[in-house]
Amino acid sequence: MIPVSVAIIVGVLLVAAVALAVVRIVRGPTPGDTAVAGDLIFFAFVGLVAVLALLFGIVAALDIILIATVLGFLSVLSLARLLQGGRR
Amino acid sequence: MIATIIGSALLILGAFNIFSAAVGLLRLPDLYTRTSAIGTAAGLGVAFMILGVVVVDFTWLNLLKGVLAIVAQLVTSAVGSFALARSGYLTGSSPAAITVPDELADDAVALGGASVPLGDTVPTEDTAALDAGPTDNRANA
Repeated sequence: MIPVSVAIIVGVLLVAAVALAVVRIVRGPTPGDTAVAGDLIFFAFVGLVAVLALLFGIVAALDIILIATVLGFLSVLSLARLLQGGRR
Repeated sequence: MIATIIGSALLILGAFNIFSAAVGLLRLPDLYTRTSAIGTAAGLGVAFMILGVVVVDFTWLNLLKGVLAIVAQLVTSAVGSFALARSGYLTGSSPAAITVPDELADDAVALGGASVPLGDTVPTEDTAALDAGPTDNRANA
């Protein structure tokens, strides 16, 4: 368990990061910028899951994080493949 | 109690890393510097947050899962950023004009990415601030 104030600080930082990434998605001139911003949103989501699981005492936190880091790699690779239209 | 303090400090440090990566995503001039900011800072940020979770909620099984997740994160964030930046180059994201060596130009011509860009290559207000002269090496491709 962590103090609520720590959870609020971490949550505000991560939500601000997501907001800045959404600004980049809206303004982003190329599809690559959109993909990079989506990558950052995924990382911030993993952090939010970690903090919320600690705050509410969910025991499966590290299982979720472990699966998310491995599957996030696959999602980034498929985004890169999608940008190239299936070519290598 | 001391574990809670150390773990909270690690969680805040990791969240600040991710936030600074987001600031870099908004302020850096082209796709490649943005990818660099995300790949290094966000990978390290997630690793710090996982370490914080392990320190706050310590068991040996959690330590095993946390070490596995940190290793996976540190290895795959670098590879993922590389793949994303390469595909961005091949589909026509123009680098800032201060970029001097351009070693992927041959691959881009072979894929038709540089001559027939899929994306929008018009300089935006971000890259136009750095496009100081006619030294854009993509004009030769």
